[in-house]
Amino acid sequence: MAKRHVIVGGGTSGWNAITTIREIDRGESEIVLVSAENPYSRMVLPYYLSREIGEAHVFTASETRLEALGVETRFGRRAASLNPNDNKLILDDEEEIAYDDLLIATGSSAVRPQLPGADGANVHSFWTLDQAREVTASLKPGVRVAMVGAGFISFTILNALLKRGAELTVIEIAPRILPRMVDDTGAEIVQGWLEERGVKILAGAEITSIEDASGGGKILKLKAGADIEVDLVIMATGIKTNLEWLEGSGVEVNGGVVINDHLRSSESNIYAAGDVAEGPERVGEGKAVHATEPTAMQHGRVAGANMAGVDTAYEGSLLVNIVDVLDLEIASFGNWDDEEAEVIQAVKKDRPAYRKLLFEGGRLVGAILLGRTRDIWATNDAGMLKGLIQSGCDLSEWKEHLRSNPFDIKRAYLAVGAAETLLPETLLGRPSVPERDIAVQQ
Amino acid sequence: MKALKIVPERCTGCMRCELACSYMNTGAFQPSRSVIRVSAFEGHTSYSPYTCPQCDEGWCLTACPVEAISINSAGAKNVLDAACVGCKLCTIACPYGTIFYDPDQHTAFKCDLCGGAPACVDVCPRDAILYEEAETADWVGPFSADRAHGPGGALAAGVK
Ligand SMILES: Cc1cc2nc3c(=O)[nH]c(=O)nc-3n(C[C@H](O)[C@H](O)[C@H](O)COP(=O)(O)OP(=O)(O)OC[C@H]3O[C@@H](n4cnc5c(N)ncnc54)[C@H](O)[C@@H]3O)c2cc1C
Ligand code: SF4
Repeated sequence: MAKRHVIVGGGTSGWNAITTIREIDRGESEIVLVSAENPYSRMVLPYYLSREIGEAHVFTASETRLEALGVETRFGRRAASLNPNDNKLILDDEEEIAYDDLLIATGSSAVRPQLPGADGANVHSFWTLDQAREVTASLKPGVRVAMVGAGFISFTILNALLKRGAELTVIEIAPRILPRMVDDTGAEIVQGWLEERGVKILAGAEITSIEDASGGGKILKLKAGADIEVDLVIMATGIKTNLEWLEGSGVEVNGGVVINDHLRSSESNIYAAGDVAEGPERVGEGKAVHATEPTAMQHGRVAGANMAGVDTAYEGSLLVNIVDVLDLEIASFGNWDDEEAEVIQAVKKDRPAYRKLLFEGGRLVGAILLGRTRDIWATNDAGMLKGLIQSGCDLSEWKEHLRSNPFDIKRAYLAVGAAETLLPETLLGRPSVPERDIAVQQ
Repeated sequence: MKALKIVPERCTGCMRCELACSYMNTGAFQPSRSVIRVSAFEGHTSYSPYTCPQCDEGWCLTACPVEAISINSAGAKNVLDAACVGCKLCTIACPYGTIFYDPDQHTAFKCDLCGGAPACVDVCPRDAILYEEAETADWVGPFSADRAHGPGGALAAGVK
């Protein structure tokens, strides 16, 4: 009998697992995909919001495409519980699906703080396509928007909101913006840049309640300071992993499902990938939940390869993030917040430009890159910084040079042979195949 | 598979490859839009071009959330402009620093080997860029390492 793989969650990691299994077995196994939503890419929702792309552009796999790949689907259905003793998944309508192996790829959901009015009318999250549709429909030029939360996800949609003509106020409870993406110096530059361009920012501000205004708007009450009246509130106040359905299953969970370098959970035929997984890091020994697209993609592919029977060890995930707002690029890599690391940094306040390099001995372990869009893309230091961290090349000889000018990394990159170190590396031990070229055998 | 083989010792720094490359990509001569970039070494007495090695992993290809990067008939990873949303994920996934972002078009761009007839190879008067059957390799690394220590090299005393 053909092996049956069950994939729970059809987002980035689930879809990458499916294509990888099919690339290897060309249709030999059974695949069942259970997903609360149809497969799409969350991270392109900001471009749908800005109307740079239409809604159809966000979908990764249509029913037709999945059928062509020999995938049986259960869309709009949720996994309700898991029984590893009998190898059975139970859905919300009580259907039981038996599996030989299973991938947990249920991602995360947006969460809101528990304060009065947080669930009221005209208060939105921006994490799913449905939520994006609601926000898109409420936007018109001149609309006053309060963006609650100034983290990475919040920043991915600022451009779109401004492009659609919103008048924006950003409110952050932490003392500064982007607390988990850049350091204090970086945050100060970004805040200055936005304020000069008409975006109001309130950091260190605590909202106590969200009330209805008489004209149909909303009023945000603050612990200290004047009320804020807007037409629309977007809550980008964090996410949580979708793990509830695993309760009682015995699968080991910490911040996410704990996985090993083969993407296996504590049950050897149950894998986990993406936002829901706590997996090995590329730099250092630890494990972490990244909740980023590149990690979800890599997890999905490595899990898929192992599920298809090709023993594949994973080197671990390297955290990389980039976002731009009003033509300022903000990127951070690896252990950018490592307090033990040796730091080399330089700021050009008036440009503005900021570069921070973090070293452990001769090895680059993290970096922050900040600058005007046109400056940043005149070179491509972003990729080279990632390459230096990934390759682990010894930069000892170059530290002096970088200390005098951390903006000049290309010569160091070339001279330490980063490219030579990196060229043999592939994620799955062979050249990658574009997903569009993957098909089952007829 | 044919690849771009770079022979740094032959490069004179004339930048014709950058001009030809940008012309192929945009119809205008603008080195900032070239995907092959010439670097100077030893206080500007040695030069070498550097571009996408068309690596096996295809870090850009696998990173793209909307399948906007394909492999063309020449075996090069190629950005499909109409599909690209400009999210830049490919540019931070590529560890070679050889996929760029165009702030005017809001799309990523990279070397596509001109579909099998690379313009940089055509215009190089010194045959410093060859298009031939070759394994991908780090063509510039050893050249650059040699020159890091030479007179006026980045590691020579006092150079900023
Ligand atoms: C607006 C926005 C912008 C972003 N920008 C970036 C960015 O620029 N860079 C970056 O790295 N990351 C970004 N991200 C994060 C990125 O989208 C996620 O890290 C990625 O989607 C994670 O993939 P995943 O497969 O783990 O989960 P998801 O893509 O979230 O997929 C999970 C799937 O599981 C389904 N599901 C959930 N619970 C159940 C259940 N019980 N049963 C069945 N199905 C279930 C869901 O419906 C969904 O289909 C962004 C996210 C958003 C929302
Ligand atoms: S910038 Fe374009 S090609 Fe690059 S990952 Fe994003 S959508 Fe894909």
